[in-house]
Amino acid sequence: MTTTPEPTADVIAERITRFLEERTKISFAVDTDVFASGSVNSLFAMELVVFLEESFDVEIGGSDLRLDNMRTVRSMTGLVQRLRDADEDGHG
Amino acid sequence: MAETVTELDRLRAFADELIGDSADSWDRAGTIPEEIVRKAGARGLMCAQVPERHGGLGLSSADNGELTAFVGSRCSSLRSLMTSQGMAAWTVQRLGDRKQRAALLPRLAGGEQAAVAFSEPGAGSDLSAMATRIEPDGDRVVVTGEKVWITAACYAEHLVVFGRYGDGTAAVVVPAHAEGVRVERVPEPLGCRAAGHARVRLDGVRVPAAEVLGGAGQSTELLVSTALAYGRMSVAWGCAGILRGALASVSRHARTRTQFGKPLAGHQLVARHVAELLAAEQTATRVCAHASHCWDTRSPEVVSATVLAKYVSSRHAAAGAATAVQVLASAGAQESHPVARAYRDAKLMEIIEGSNEICELLLAEHALSVHA
Repeated sequence: MTTTPEPTADVIAERITRFLEERTKISFAVDTDVFASGSVNSLFAMELVVFLEESFDVEIGGSDLRLDNMRTVRSMTGLVQRLRDADEDGHG
Repeated sequence: MAETVTELDRLRAFADELIGDSADSWDRAGTIPEEIVRKAGARGLMCAQVPERHGGLGLSSADNGELTAFVGSRCSSLRSLMTSQGMAAWTVQRLGDRKQRAALLPRLAGGEQAAVAFSEPGAGSDLSAMATRIEPDGDRVVVTGEKVWITAACYAEHLVVFGRYGDGTAAVVVPAHAEGVRVERVPEPLGCRAAGHARVRLDGVRVPAAEVLGGAGQSTELLVSTALAYGRMSVAWGCAGILRGALASVSRHARTRTQFGKPLAGHQLVARHVAELLAAEQTATRVCAHASHCWDTRSPEVVSATVLAKYVSSRHAAAGAATAVQVLASAGAQESHPVARAYRDAKLMEIIEGSNEICELLLAEHALSVHA
């Protein structure tokens, strides 16, 4: 039941950037370390996990639950794409 | 309009009958009879939020919260076992891979009791200081360390142990009866006296590497906050329950006890206590319901809303339980009386799953990042 087209990396990155900006009032470049800015707290990483899961219909569990995966817009985009691809294969 | 009896109603009726008026005696004995724990587990009460596809009852966070509050209004010890069991199941669901979920969740949902082990002698609020080691050894891992104040450990068949793994953290499921595991009951805890708190020593315990949830070396912070999210929600609802119990005791007493020629409730200073308890119970319920709504709708706000619920609810419970003892006075000032238990139990709730002060730090950071 793949009725919605697969979002491109640009679309994913754009939604993540928008969420970050809404939440932190900071506009992050794709490679900027979100946590190094000092303006987001430790709970925020969890919020990002929930946001990515809900927005892109993926499950971030087990070994993917790493700060490195959440560190930049680019790394989050990569994680989402990888999980979506794996899911496709899983239902192959 | 026909009244529909929901699964939540049935579970509350089941818990009502199961607990009866035994909570005082469980508290005095410092233990809940094995039979009771077994029955509660078999009914699915202990981790009712486990999805149906994994053998659970699939309750929403909101319904599971109401169930938790109901049990919490009667017996915080049994409610603590629910918190531990639910947190163990949530940890497996969240951190485990497909295979681990399929293997473990039905067993937990079916009543095999579990405990979650974070705290150590040198790592309480600062869990990054955990010294327990999980070390690979071929197709096994070796677990070594000491865990303290592990709720439900005395009843547990499974221990979800957090420890250092490689350059990060991992959680591993250890059978409580494995060689090298020693579970030593905390002799006289201040509150939740029948919740089976224990010190757990792990002396080179060998378990299959497949019992390490989801692989190796994750971020301590993310791992711990993931597991604690469920625990905090559960404690928050349990505290709403403590307030409901206290409100009921106080209201009954204030209506029936007569002093200076009229019921206690007729004295304005007592009436204020009743009003404050009602406000506290409603506040706790609302803040918990909001957090559960965020949980059920998968809103990112769930993270801060859960900390807020735990913080608000446990502080109100501690204050409210003290008020209840004040109003019941000599009638409630006996060992294991419901309000005396509430007073001791609620104080512990300001400490576990993130103390007041840790919650304040988290909430302040949150405010500074979002509202500044």
